[in-house]
Amino acid sequence: MSAAPLLKAAPLVEASPLLEVEGLCCRFGGLLALNNVSLAVRPGEIFGLIGPNGAGKTTLFNAITALTPASSGRVLWRGQPLAGSRPDQLSRLGLARTFQNLRLFDSLSVQANVVVGLHRFAASPLLAALLGGAAVRRRQRQLEQRALELLALVGLEDQAHLPAAGLPYGERRRLELARALATEPRLLLLDEPAAGMNPAEKNDLCDLIRTIRERFDLTVMIIEHHVPLMMRLCDRLAVLNFGERIALGTPTEVRQDPGVIEAYLGSAR
Amino acid sequence: MDAALLEQMLLGALLALSVYLPLRCGQLSLATPGFYAIGGTVAALLSTRIPAFAGTGASSPLPALLLEMALAGLLAGLLALAIGGTVLRLRGIYLAIATIALVEILRVITLNLPFTGGALGIFGIPQPFAGASGYAGFTLVLLAVVCWLCSRLEQLRLGRAMAAIRDDELAASCVGIDTAAVKLNAFVLSALLAGLTGALAAHFLNSWNAKLGSFDASITTLAFVVFGGSRTWLGPVIGGLLLTALPELLRPVGDLRLIVFGLVILLGPVLFPQGLITPQRLQGLGQWVAALGQQLRVRISGVRRP
Repeated sequence: MSAAPLLKAAPLVEASPLLEVEGLCCRFGGLLALNNVSLAVRPGEIFGLIGPNGAGKTTLFNAITALTPASSGRVLWRGQPLAGSRPDQLSRLGLARTFQNLRLFDSLSVQANVVVGLHRFAASPLLAALLGGAAVRRRQRQLEQRALELLALVGLEDQAHLPAAGLPYGERRRLELARALATEPRLLLLDEPAAGMNPAEKNDLCDLIRTIRERFDLTVMIIEHHVPLMMRLCDRLAVLNFGERIALGTPTEVRQDPGVIEAYLGSAR
Repeated sequence: MDAALLEQMLLGALLALSVYLPLRCGQLSLATPGFYAIGGTVAALLSTRIPAFAGTGASSPLPALLLEMALAGLLAGLLALAIGGTVLRLRGIYLAIATIALVEILRVITLNLPFTGGALGIFGIPQPFAGASGYAGFTLVLLAVVCWLCSRLEQLRLGRAMAAIRDDELAASCVGIDTAAVKLNAFVLSALLAGLTGALAAHFLNSWNAKLGSFDASITTLAFVVFGGSRTWLGPVIGGLLLTALPELLRPVGDLRLIVFGLVILLGPVLFPQGLITPQRLQGLGQWVAALGQQLRVRISGVRRP
């Protein structure tokens, strides 16, 4: 883990995008939740997604992670279309996400939640595993050790053996983050990771997101309502309003965009 | 205890484990009696129609029983594999309805096939063991092995993935679990276990007919798991043992026994919504035993010292 390659904070050269969204539309009955949204996420950047409630931010995440089918448009991963993929196949490609309304495995322990995230790396023939040879036991210990390391990263190593259902809210958020990291993603999608946190916790979270980006060579896409935090954290931002992308650029550019000011503050009349 | 009752209890525990496996990944499948019936029919046909399995007259050799169990498990497993992909697309109560339909289809087929003896069934199935105690001993070993495999499974990748799917299928798929494959695995293992249990039961019961795999049996086996608990393998085992024994133990109260039995099934989930056995309760029991052992050790060393 310590040997992870170093990464420049913000790539200066225009790298080919990791993820591209092209003309994406999501229609639910009469509601157009996403209207022709296009954007590209470059490797290594922290890409923010902001917008008022109901703007389609989570729908965009759901469409990217194949939980919601797109009505039209497409999502490209390293230039390849992702159409028809299942969520577990996307996870193998390197997409991981957290959920706005936390989805943990409540009957399992904190550590087991992270071990489930290591599913892809735990493969062994079922019969050999059932009979439990020395190699299987060693592998099992490695997985548990790896889970503990990830828990230590988010500050939950002391709670490893508690049931996940009993954790307080903030720790549940961090556990979900550790579980997502366990899948060894290239792109991590965080849906309102700071919701319900106080300012000090929000600052810690910012540091944590920067730390994991560097340590795991990650690209991060993040939805968050707290605009000052997003201005500090993100390399680039996209602003959604009523399903349309109304702005895209660096925090400074977005802050001065008249369309954004109108969406957030209303038009001056 | 009566060895015949013990044998019935052990078979009940095996069937309960068969219901438990899909339920551990949140799949309410009631197909167990269908696969159980396939196993029973296969064993009954083989051992009464084919001389190599039948042995000499009324007794059949043990290897023949083992082979029948393997074939029955294999056939049930293959059928589960063939239909599982389609059936397991259904969720919750719809899966339950589809699997009840499967049980009924298998029952009606068995009833009407020219070689399965119609409503009367197949009689005079040869006995590999001299008495009920022989069956009970054999089944006890089988149950112990199955329990050990289940307890291993729960520690492993597949078992963890199953629990994750039960807790949150969508989140499970997002961390890279192929949920359809895991559910199919659980369904096939369940069918395999029910099939080989059926083969064993056919010999023990000495006769086999279509009624043994019916909707009633679906509900009874489900009650085993609901009563015992579906969080860990020990729950269905305890549920299967207790609920199979109860109607027999209640015989002294006459016709009232069905009412008492119904009450127990009703009150079980009311008083213990998670079932009788939960990991928390087991942990509590373990700590209590450890504390008791500690106390005993202190007392013994206290006696020796002066």
